[in-house]
Amino acid sequence: MKALRFGWRGVTVLFVLAFLLGVTGPLAWVLASSLKSATQIATDPWALPTTLQWDNYANAWNGASTNLGRAFFNSLFVALATMVVLIPISAMAAYVLAKYAFPGSKAIYASFLAGMMFPQFLVIVPLYLTMVDLSLADTLPGLILVYIAFSLPFTVFVLTGFFHNLPDELGEAAMLDGCGHAKTFWRVMLPLARPGLVVVTIFNLIGLWNEYNLALVLVNSEERFTLPLALAKLSNTAQYTSDWGAMFAAIVITMGPVLLVYWLLKEKIQEAMLAGAVKG
Amino acid sequence: MRRRGRIAFALAFIAPAVLLYAGLVLWPLLRAFALSLYHTRGLSTKKEFVGLQNYTDLAKDEIFRTAVTNNLKLLVVVVVAVTVLGLLLAHVTEGKGPVAKVLRSVYLFPHVISIVVVGILWQFLLHPSIGIVTATFDRLGWKDQPTWLGDPSTSLLSVAVAFVWYGIGFYIMLFSAALKGVPGDVFEAAELDGTRGLHRFWTITWPLIWSIRRVVVVHAAIATLNTFALVRLMTNGGPFRASEVTLTYLYEQGFQPNSFYGYATAIAVLNFLLVMGVSSVILAAFRRDPQAVRR
Repeated sequence: MKALRFGWRGVTVLFVLAFLLGVTGPLAWVLASSLKSATQIATDPWALPTTLQWDNYANAWNGASTNLGRAFFNSLFVALATMVVLIPISAMAAYVLAKYAFPGSKAIYASFLAGMMFPQFLVIVPLYLTMVDLSLADTLPGLILVYIAFSLPFTVFVLTGFFHNLPDELGEAAMLDGCGHAKTFWRVMLPLARPGLVVVTIFNLIGLWNEYNLALVLVNSEERFTLPLALAKLSNTAQYTSDWGAMFAAIVITMGPVLLVYWLLKEKIQEAMLAGAVKG
Repeated sequence: MRRRGRIAFALAFIAPAVLLYAGLVLWPLLRAFALSLYHTRGLSTKKEFVGLQNYTDLAKDEIFRTAVTNNLKLLVVVVVAVTVLGLLLAHVTEGKGPVAKVLRSVYLFPHVISIVVVGILWQFLLHPSIGIVTATFDRLGWKDQPTWLGDPSTSLLSVAVAFVWYGIGFYIMLFSAALKGVPGDVFEAAELDGTRGLHRFWTITWPLIWSIRRVVVVHAAIATLNTFALVRLMTNGGPFRASEVTLTYLYEQGFQPNSFYGYATAIAVLNFLLVMGVSSVILAAFRRDPQAVRR
């Protein structure tokens, strides 16, 4: 019995080590390759970089084939602009849904919930046509508006939960002190919902930084590419030009910020992911 | 007393979110069902109402059938893999040793680095000349390994492996949340009764985490039926449609040189119905709380 258990333990440890290698190995390989020359990458995928080719990063950032630097700032701009509008309007809606019952409020909440269930691709063609009608196709403001609209269901859902848990007495006390409805919200309730705001902000930022499907359909001009679009283009050209080094550097540039943010805020991100997963 | 002001305030506060949501999500959603009843060609030409013809055409479309079959194959492989591996690894993350600690901090890496990065990464891991996976197999003496993404018999499997690599962390997280939810005294009682190891797992853990199991299976099923970026970047559906899935076919019909918006939308609607159908079947199969039976 004891020997058997030890045997299982050995198998478990081997299995877990294989898994750890499977997760971190490819990432380490990308990092190592991003510092190798194209010839070195082609001759031996296993070799460690001999002389560090920082040029790869410069070529990826400002290369002839794809301008990753511009895409980086496009992504940053789109993500931040989306958050600036998304967070206040979701918080306002969530507050009303949590604290003010009015005819139709249940239906509105249900329609937001439904938005988390159906796949984006169901609306992608008519969404594109709507953006063409509004002359917003292939523009960054158009992409931002779409990102706000599509981030609303999850954000409103999580924030409604947070506002729901704040005691009603706080709002009543503020009203007795002479605050109006709006002032009560901005001065008292919103600051109390800070933990929820932090969670949805981080979660949405990561999601928007990585978003591909909507951007692919809504943005065509290269000067408006977001990072995932530019990376996809670069990997496509690397196939023909064999500029592998720049491509691996581009992968590192794209995933680096996300891994850093994730590493710093692991618990909060997991909290948000769990909230999103067990919703229904 | 301030009833009127109350409602006016509520409506004003909720209006921006509702208007944006209605205009850019709900309105296109309604348009989708209508659009799927039209013959269209590009933006400029007129569209012609054809009723359900797009749907009857799709029923006869060999490529669409291949795509649906591939989606379902992907679903089975991924659901089985993430349930087994996810549950195993979730048990390990519960441990206190250094390995468990390292595992806890890295298992979500693949899930947060963007599906685009995952697709490109796997494309190059499996690359016939510069890929480290192919190079490793080569060193181990596998001389006639297939060109993974270029071979019709292995391209869908390669996509499945990449999908599991991407998704597994998320399911480990769900399972470990479920395991944490099992009260410790249940395990202590089992320990006293001499129930441990696999036996304890089958008699206690497995029945107690039924609700998360359901979430995992439904979630993985929906995710695989909505696969797009991974396939587009790794194989673009090829070779010879061997890894074509419904959404890559939708993209081809809707946004590649010829834009058949009506036909593409009909694909979207059918894929949605497939998702709904599969999830209802799974939910029905997992509906009952196994604990309720015993009581």
